[in-house]
Amino acid sequence: MKYITEKDIKGTVALEDTILYKGIPCTAGSKMLEKFIPLHNAEVADRLEKAGISISGKVNVGEFGFDLLGETSYFGAEKDENGNLVSASSCLVKEGLKGVLAVELNGASIRGAALGGTVFVKPTYGTVSRYGVIPCACSSEQVGVHACNVENASEILSVIAGHDAKDGTSLPCEKYEYFVKDDVSGKKVCIPKEYFEKADDSTKANVEKIADALKSKGAQVEFVSFAEFEASQSAWFVMMCAESCNNLSRYEGVKFGHRTESYNDIEELYTKSRTEAFGLLAKSVILYGSDVLSKNRYFTTYDKALKVRRLLRTKLDALFAEYDLILAPVSSKTGYKEASMKTVYEESYFTSLASMMGLPVVATKGVQLIGNSFEENKLLCAAKAIGEVE
Amino acid sequence: MTKETMSSLKQLNRLALTETEEAEVLDFLATLEKGEEKMAQTDTEGLKILVHLSEVSNLFNVLREDKAQKVYTREELQEHAPEAYDGYWQVPRLVD
Repeated sequence: MKYITEKDIKGTVALEDTILYKGIPCTAGSKMLEKFIPLHNAEVADRLEKAGISISGKVNVGEFGFDLLGETSYFGAEKDENGNLVSASSCLVKEGLKGVLAVELNGASIRGAALGGTVFVKPTYGTVSRYGVIPCACSSEQVGVHACNVENASEILSVIAGHDAKDGTSLPCEKYEYFVKDDVSGKKVCIPKEYFEKADDSTKANVEKIADALKSKGAQVEFVSFAEFEASQSAWFVMMCAESCNNLSRYEGVKFGHRTESYNDIEELYTKSRTEAFGLLAKSVILYGSDVLSKNRYFTTYDKALKVRRLLRTKLDALFAEYDLILAPVSSKTGYKEASMKTVYEESYFTSLASMMGLPVVATKGVQLIGNSFEENKLLCAAKAIGEVE
Repeated sequence: MTKETMSSLKQLNRLALTETEEAEVLDFLATLEKGEEKMAQTDTEGLKILVHLSEVSNLFNVLREDKAQKVYTREELQEHAPEAYDGYWQVPRLVD
């Protein structure tokens, strides 16, 4: 962590390194931005400070947030004593930080908190300003909160949420009220079979344990089948890579970003700078993104993905008319020593629906609770209800 | 993806890969392309694309008031420049 304050960090909030803080390097976990020093704060940082919450430092992230658990950071991955990949933010809230703000893109924050035994809340897309966030998939990524409990996450989220005129995707509501009550009585919860069946036995047992805890507090839990979920993984990757490809095209070593040491002409300057500074996953995202946007592939990939998004919205309307929330694993396993690019894609199966649909998520205790847009309070209350499960 | 397509994409995106890296990326992209089959099988006939999620909340084009706000000076912006000279961003000669 890079410190912003010399004070005791307990009770403070830190920012993942994709969120700008004036005068402090913001790298997005990439060599490309190793020397980038922002000229202004992200809106979320300003809101924290206006509310009297001290910002203590910046937290390491995987390169631009594409990966599984931060393993692609140019500055190194975080691992626990058993050699498992862990989320740096999850570790820091366990050590006493009140919270860490993070940009949830491809599930890393959700997995990090759920597998790390902490809490991450991703609110509905558009409720928290993205002004001052390093952009990748602008139509979906959202700032959320890591904390060690739902109360802290809810309190911090209440501070940062609300309309910001500087973000064109910010929704017009000025203030959102989040609350936590240990109350799931009468709520209807569904577990999509498609997710459950992809998980290993240990993960399945954990989901069943959480379901039992919810039932014991008066919730009704049922398995459902939702075949269209299967299409969300590919549609999400198409959209994420297409949007990220455009956003990462700004890094060329001229106006800012890494510049190679030796070059003969402008073409070589661009190519060597980008080749030296991006990791292999970022390069793959760029190449696939430009492929799906190409003339020959556009209608069968990018355009199709946006139609799948419309279809899923219709299907979700029907699902949420019957159920209050979705309970699902965040990953197929409970731990990862390493992660290949294929693993990143395979595990995005569990997080792609909420990512591409901008749905709110609370991740905790190895699972995620997904709700309909603006239903964060239902998720926070359900997370509180399962909070005592060991 | 063919090697020719890869070559064209690399050129478009100003990226180079070693042979080992290219083999790994092609293998990864083949996995993504296989994943597209499930998307292709999904019936989306007659559906419009959904670009902006705010559309779901019946909101379009959330625009701010047309008022001038803080702007950065050239000097401030050039603090990020890898090379700058006399107020200009410096790049190699483009024309001989």
